[in-house]
Amino acid sequence: MKDQHNNIWIGVQDKTNDPALEEITKQEFYELPIVDALADEDMMEKSSPNRRDFLKYLGFGLGAATVAAGCEIPVKKAIPYVVKPDSIVPGVATYYASSFVNGGDYCSILVKTREGRPIKIEGNPSSPITKGGTSARAQACVLSLYNTERTQSPLSVSDGKAMSWADLDKAVKSKLTASSNVRILTNTILSPTTKQAIADFKLKYPNTQVVTYDPISSAAMLLANEACFGDRVIPNYHFDKANVVVTFGADFLGSWISPVEYAADWVKNRTIKDASHPKMSRLISVENGMSLTGSNADNRILIKPSEQGAAVLALYNAVAKLGGGESVSTSTSVNAAAAKALNEAAKELVANQGKSLIVSNSNDKNVQIVVNKLNDLLASYGNTISFEGASLQKQGVETNVQTLIKEMGAGSVDVVIVNGANPAYDLPNAEAFKTAFAKVGTKISFAGTVDETTSLCDYVAPDNNLLESWGDAEPKRGHYSLIQPTINPLYDTRQKEASLLAWADNNISYLDYLKQNWQNNMFPAQSAFATFQGFWDNALHDGVFHAPKASTATAFAGDVQSAAASIKGSSGNDVEINFYETVNMGAGQYADNPWLQEMPDPVNRTVWGNYLGVNITFDGKNAYKTFRDLKQDSKGNTDFAKITTKGGEVTIPSNPTFGQMDNTVSAGLGYGRVKVSSTGQMVGANLFPMCTTNDDGLTQYWAVCEVEKNGVDREYACVQYHNTMGVKGKVDGTDDLINVDEKVLGIDGYQGSLTGRSIIYNAHVKETGPFIDELKKKRDFADHLNVKTLYPGHDDKYTMGHHWAMHIDLNACTGCAACTVACMAENNVPVVGKKEVFRHHEMTWLRIDRYFYGDVNNPNVVYQPMMCQHCDNAPCENVCPVAATNHSSEGLNQMTYNRCIGTRYCANNCPYKVRRFNWFDYTTADLWPANEYSINGEELPFGADNLTRMVLNPDVTVRSRGVIEKCSFCVQRIQEGKLLAKRESRKLKDNDVKTACQTACPTGAITFGDRNNKSGKLSEKLKSPLNYLALEEINTASSVNYTAKIHNRNTKMDA
Amino acid sequence: MLHKRFSIKTFLPILFLCLGFQSFAEPTIEEGKALFKAKCASCHTKDMKSDMTGPALGGVEERWADYDRADLYFWIRQSQKMKDTGHPRASELWNKWQPTVMTDFPNLTDDQIESILLYIDGMYTGKIGGSVGPATPVGEEIVEETNTSFYFMILGILAFLALILARIVSNLNHMADTKEGAVLGQRKTLVEQLLSPTVIGFVLFALVIIGGYITVNNAMDLGRQKGYEPQQPIKFSHATHAGDQKIDCQYCHDGARRSKHSVIPATNTCMNCHTAVKAGSKYGTAELSKIHASAGWNPNTGKYFAENTSEADIEKEFRKWIGDQYRAAKGEGVKDKRVNAEVDAQWKEISTFVNRPIEWVKIHNLPDHVYFNHAQHVAVGDVECQTCHGKVEEMEVVEQFSPLSMGWCVNCHRETKVQFADNPYYDSYEAYHKELEAGTRTGVTVEEIGGLECQKCHY
Repeated sequence: MKDQHNNIWIGVQDKTNDPALEEITKQEFYELPIVDALADEDMMEKSSPNRRDFLKYLGFGLGAATVAAGCEIPVKKAIPYVVKPDSIVPGVATYYASSFVNGGDYCSILVKTREGRPIKIEGNPSSPITKGGTSARAQACVLSLYNTERTQSPLSVSDGKAMSWADLDKAVKSKLTASSNVRILTNTILSPTTKQAIADFKLKYPNTQVVTYDPISSAAMLLANEACFGDRVIPNYHFDKANVVVTFGADFLGSWISPVEYAADWVKNRTIKDASHPKMSRLISVENGMSLTGSNADNRILIKPSEQGAAVLALYNAVAKLGGGESVSTSTSVNAAAAKALNEAAKELVANQGKSLIVSNSNDKNVQIVVNKLNDLLASYGNTISFEGASLQKQGVETNVQTLIKEMGAGSVDVVIVNGANPAYDLPNAEAFKTAFAKVGTKISFAGTVDETTSLCDYVAPDNNLLESWGDAEPKRGHYSLIQPTINPLYDTRQKEASLLAWADNNISYLDYLKQNWQNNMFPAQSAFATFQGFWDNALHDGVFHAPKASTATAFAGDVQSAAASIKGSSGNDVEINFYETVNMGAGQYADNPWLQEMPDPVNRTVWGNYLGVNITFDGKNAYKTFRDLKQDSKGNTDFAKITTKGGEVTIPSNPTFGQMDNTVSAGLGYGRVKVSSTGQMVGANLFPMCTTNDDGLTQYWAVCEVEKNGVDREYACVQYHNTMGVKGKVDGTDDLINVDEKVLGIDGYQGSLTGRSIIYNAHVKETGPFIDELKKKRDFADHLNVKTLYPGHDDKYTMGHHWAMHIDLNACTGCAACTVACMAENNVPVVGKKEVFRHHEMTWLRIDRYFYGDVNNPNVVYQPMMCQHCDNAPCENVCPVAATNHSSEGLNQMTYNRCIGTRYCANNCPYKVRRFNWFDYTTADLWPANEYSINGEELPFGADNLTRMVLNPDVTVRSRGVIEKCSFCVQRIQEGKLLAKRESRKLKDNDVKTACQTACPTGAITFGDRNNKSGKLSEKLKSPLNYLALEEINTASSVNYTAKIHNRNTKMDA
Repeated sequence: MLHKRFSIKTFLPILFLCLGFQSFAEPTIEEGKALFKAKCASCHTKDMKSDMTGPALGGVEERWADYDRADLYFWIRQSQKMKDTGHPRASELWNKWQPTVMTDFPNLTDDQIESILLYIDGMYTGKIGGSVGPATPVGEEIVEETNTSFYFMILGILAFLALILARIVSNLNHMADTKEGAVLGQRKTLVEQLLSPTVIGFVLFALVIIGGYITVNNAMDLGRQKGYEPQQPIKFSHATHAGDQKIDCQYCHDGARRSKHSVIPATNTCMNCHTAVKAGSKYGTAELSKIHASAGWNPNTGKYFAENTSEADIEKEFRKWIGDQYRAAKGEGVKDKRVNAEVDAQWKEISTFVNRPIEWVKIHNLPDHVYFNHAQHVAVGDVECQTCHGKVEEMEVVEQFSPLSMGWCVNCHRETKVQFADNPYYDSYEAYHKELEAGTRTGVTVEEIGGLECQKCHY
């Protein structure tokens, strides 16, 4: 517990006590230096009207007001249904169980619809896989439905003309003959019925082959498991049964295979259930750049991307030596620090045989065979890994697509049907693909929006959006999941399966086909229902159906020696770049989703683009120090870095990160889309061409590179230093640490607690006992400081009725940002774009602060979801001149938009920095178009068109320009829950009120409830002695309790 | 100075105090509106510009201008009798409109008729809002106008009186002063006094205050529509359904108990009864057929049209239905020409409804930043529909009964008692329950459980 506060930092500037940072911390509303603004003529035109403009506006304003006053109120119509569907009551939400599926991404969901419009995604608690959790990607999928740039009808691409389905079918059928060489090019297909439809298509066109690949491939795992166990699948990992988890680059909490499922399982051993006997598993991440999983790890072992094979071998040999297995001979070696740490890791693994788990994202079959053997040595199979319920979420092997390129190049392919895949963008040799693809006679795409591959096709047979479709999925063997439409197709689109069947002369409706398939295959696998209708209705209601399937996997039979011999060593001293899948963009298929673009990357805290992660002391080729001018960086400037690899060169902004291995850099994939809905066009840079291929033809997500400085990015959209609280500075003259705010006040030492603000507490799991005592002392001291108060106190008010509060377990929070997107969806939070974020104008109500602690060169991370704390002594309330923000008797800090006049005093006075100001009319809720914010002369701000507005929550006001907004604790849900209880004449239950962030969370980190309900879940959680309030010493009496971060770092692994 | 001087300053506040409310016993538009609704509206349109059962009434006074005013009164009271006298205007009208007979209103007084004529003229010339969607409620603005001019008149008279009095007092004071031999400066003339900084300052101040008051008051009323009574696409009568037939409000407005919206019923709710009741008590087939058209129901066969029925076939069926009904109502002797005219007129209206939802005009409009939930009030609070909506069961055409202003909401929340004892939800308010038991409290108002807090209605 010593030096809790000074050992926690946000980033470089904080760590180095940069005076420029102090400067910006002083300002609640950060403004660019006037010189910069003057240089930007465009901005000047928009933001600072001159005198004549002022007079014009004044004149217009008066005139308009007069006209408005004289106008009649427009006649509003109320148009009821002719025949009202039974399931719809206007004003009441209806939920439908469905599934979010995109390639291998899967989440069982409930779709909230209002008056027939899907408006929100919730997790489906009935699912044994995702257990009610969601991911940011699943939360955002509802917005893609209302993408204004969806393909609206079948298209003939060459002339860009719309076709009728009859014409398209005729055209396609004329190209298909029984002898045609047809290839269906696809990413992983989870749906058994889609596969059945393809099989039926194949009956008619027997020379059809399905070419499956995944842009972010796990082919090596599939091949290794086939070689070792005779089963080409990803096994079923049980992170909840492991005491020690070692991951070699696999970001299983962020993006690897099934992050929602894995995060929920992993967190089970990370939360402290009994503070007097704390227990916790250990996570060791072997990687080069900080991934989401790495940031949650207790220990990180830094290796270069090329060293992964060597590191796996080193660990294998160490385990074999300790555990009595057969060691392998290898010529590779890993860096000394990693070697030492891996030896320590081996000790722990051997001590936890049967309770340990090794995973790797390596796309080298040989490395995966060694990982399998390692798991075999540690008795993981049957304990922490099983083949029953194996994952089917990655099925692609990219050598198939390389074979296809050869075939197409030779002109032997007649027809290619592209099913959602985008190889013209996401293959390392996309150019070769494009050349070969051009030689194919007929190319048809099912894509619902334009993409790089579709634009090369001849015909587009647009598929329905997911939320308009019938369908199913089998993400894990024996786990079935249904997709049901929640809205009629908005455009003239058709399900891809129906298209395939139509071309095979089968004109059955896809719903009937789906039911048929379920009747034939799933219905016989159960015994609970005697009739198919009963079974179907139940499965559709639950959204999921589970019928265990026996595993066919054999015992381990891999050849580890020859695998080890084939593993190559490190590339030497070259700088290496690692390419990773980001939490939000995937392989680029989410690039056109504004919510995901605007969601800050959990680790880098950047938005709208990919950034080159470099070590804070990076000294790359050409002897260039990345951050020579910290002052510039604080102003939102960063260096552009030019990366040169064999696969080409790109220039992207650099981003200094802690925990990035020296001499390596890393950057996210999935950006730099060219042919995509305008939201995602040219956002960031495409790095797929830089990926390399190994001897087996598998894609390797790293490369040797050179990095050099290439100018300055003046729009560095990184929210790291926006809305900071409690930044440290140094007292002039002396080097004493002090809180920056305090320095600004000019009264050193006033309320000594300020320098050590209680924002983040952390402790090692073994020191939990002493830590609890320390924490108690701290909290008692805060109480003591708060005895004398200006506030009259209204505790008696809260003893009656409800007193809302929230609990956030920082040990369960992985920082995955599902809550951030859920909050945007639930509360109509506008998307503002990169430039506005750069100007500190982001609107997200819920931000996830990232703090580092521990070793500067290899730190640990704690994520802290930060939203309005609903202080019972709220500093924002008593500075509002118009009482637009005030307190309710239920402990809510209320924000009344229609009363707000935009003085922003409240935001200035909020110590948590959670209030957001509408600098522009982002939503066109305002009366005057002149207030709207426009980027590149767009006609409307994003989301203000009538289609995208369909996604708005009708229970939440859309805010206009000039008002403050902030987290309301989802007051609309509170009111809805209370009303339900009142109508049913009963007391309020925990389940009646759940906030959007709470339901989105895959790990259950957030609990919301009524603290007056002593038997509720929240009251239970509030009892933990590890709880604290943020900034408790300033007597805000906030309502959000945090559980201190407990970690389990093995210091013996530190270099 | 021995005498306390009177000055104009003393009089001005008194002037304002004199302004009071006065009422008039003259023909008013308000009265005219009420009378028109009660007696004329069933045959004459409210916009005064189009014919209905009876002719459009706009410009009626000009048309009768050649005759004695009493003739017009006579026509309105006893039109058939007047026709028999051979009055040229009366005969002209009868020839045009026969066989339609105007109902006699022998009890209308001259003033009442003048009121109706005032209202007709107002509606016709547009002095008072249009027929659909007027922002300003009909009666109030007029009342305000008469009051305002009256106040200004009184103000003028009193100001004049005050001026004379002030002058007299001033003269008397001056005379007194002169008598006492006080040394006096130059006396100010009336003009000088009126242009003195004090008076100008005061007048300006008064103007700003009055202007501000009027502006704020009118601004607050912007967007409020109490009394809003738009014409609906179907002359649906709540008086018939909820009044005469005693159908429960929530039979049709079934959202009220479970949703934020009370819900305008879907056409198929109407069809629950109107498959059996095929013609209305007031308008016969003219209005009800719109419902049948919307639902796609064939009143001849009592079955829904098949999905692919052509529009021409639907038209044919409805024309037959309307014609048959009209013949049945008028007796077999009715001429085909009349029937065809009637069918044409009705079908013209009905045709726009075929297989389409009915576009009702929304009467109760809340701003977007207000959240209101019917279920909370109806199901939990046991509030009668009539509390906010007025006696809808007596309304032929529904109008907005309450101002729906925030002050009106808040006031009710202050006064209304929560259904506290019977609902276990409120158990957590222990202190109140104890006080209730102890008898120190008679009830708990909505305000006392937080019903006035911003985020109960704004979020």
